Amino acid sequence: MIRLVNVSKRYRTSSGFHTVLNNVDVTFPVGKSVGILGLNGAGKSTLIRIIGDAEPPDTGHVERTGRVSWPLGYTGGFQGNLTARENARFVARIYGESTKYIEEFTQEFSELGEYFDEPLRAYSAGMRSRFAFSVSLACNFDYYLVDEALETGDARYKEKFRLAFEERRATASVILVSHNEQTIRRNCDMAAILHDGELTLYDELKDALQFYSYLQTRAA
Amino acid sequence: MSDTHVSEAPRIRLSDISTALSTQSRVIWALILRETKTRYGEHKLGFLWAVLEPLIMVAVFVGIFASIRSDSPGGMPLVLFMLVGIVPFHLFRDTMGQMQGAIAQNKSLFAFPQVTTFDVIIARGILEILLLSGVFIMLLVGMDIAGYSVNIERPLGVLAACGLLSLIGMGMGFAFASISPLVPSMRQISGAVLGRPLFLGSGIFFIADSVPGPVREYLLLNPLMHILELLRSAFFYEFESAHGDWGYATTWSLCVFAFGLLIHQAMRRKAIVGI
Repeated sequence: MIRLVNVSKRYRTSSGFHTVLNNVDVTFPVGKSVGILGLNGAGKSTLIRIIGDAEPPDTGHVERTGRVSWPLGYTGGFQGNLTARENARFVARIYGESTKYIEEFTQEFSELGEYFDEPLRAYSAGMRSRFAFSVSLACNFDYYLVDEALETGDARYKEKFRLAFEERRATASVILVSHNEQTIRRNCDMAAILHDGELTLYDELKDALQFYSYLQTRAA
Repeated sequence: MSDTHVSEAPRIRLSDISTALSTQSRVIWALILRETKTRYGEHKLGFLWAVLEPLIMVAVFVGIFASIRSDSPGGMPLVLFMLVGIVPFHLFRDTMGQMQGAIAQNKSLFAFPQVTTFDVIIARGILEILLLSGVFIMLLVGMDIAGYSVNIERPLGVLAACGLLSLIGMGMGFAFASISPLVPSMRQISGAVLGRPLFLGSGIFFIADSVPGPVREYLLLNPLMHILELLRSAFFYEFESAHGDWGYATTWSLCVFAFGLLIHQAMRRKAIVGI
């Protein structure tokens, strides 16, 4: 279970403070994959980083039971001057997993071929996220935190990831932030909307999507 | 951080602490391996350079020194005198220098919640200290083979002095690593304002007895000067310093180390946001 208790976060900008989360109190139910929708700049990435403990909230705290992934995205957590193999071994070590297993799983699942032993800086954005998702799948998390990046790679590879996540859904949940409702529709059971510092969880996916399209038209 | 956060957070149990410690040592070990890869993985000559650089410095300063005066300082053989000043000084200077960029150059790693700013800074420090210790031992063994008889009078004293140099280096490293993401010109400050004067004024090229009294008193305010005097006293049978004070050196080293940790503690949140 992941629970946000009175979480607030604001940033200092040139024109004062920008509140991203205003006393957010939300429980993400066990076994459900939740999509979080928000317009550009609503603070989706900040939210997912706070859920993943990559960034502390200003006030409040986050309760987590089970193993939570780092926020998966295009680049998060990886340095360009190391190869995919070296990065995979690093992840295995900090999560206390077998380096051999993680390395082999990642190499096979990512289908990077000989690029697996090239520095990550030589990768395209799609290859980077393919790598990031493969390592995280190798680690067997209970929660996968995803920042937008499901949408990379060719159609066949996207399908491979979708199936892999589908399979994991029995034991794992996805919390995914996106501004794209298609992504949410394909991957999630329910959705929440982040708007004006408020995070509202909807039981029905279609209610959330409906309100989101209203927000989009109003913003446009 | 407000008080509400502390009071609302779950209680800390002993088992949590032991889990946290084992996670942290795992993370630091992973970071050390990673740093080794980033530093020496692509450039196979990297380690060779780590050995050659101090060796070249020794050669240059032996040359300069020998051309100015004919006697050796304090009765110590000139080449070993230089070596046993320059390489240990690197323990201070390079440890500080390597740790300084730790936060700024590892920012992508903070996506992993178990990786803290403390971990990335200390990992660099540990790697540098291990590396320089290896270089020091290799050079001493090499010197011995080359015919300069290397006989250490009090090995534990040498170890202790090297420990103090590392401690000061780490203290400064923690401080600079935590400040430099917020103050970009910090690298110049640590190099020019601190590194160079200390390089000249810490007794790498001279002993305290060879400078006139009033200047000596001034130089002996510098704890590094004390440590190098103590180090050479412990190393050479030929030399016992009347000036090196273990109490003064140790107090300074511990204070600088504590100061560095305090600065890090105060700045770490801001430092992450700063980059």
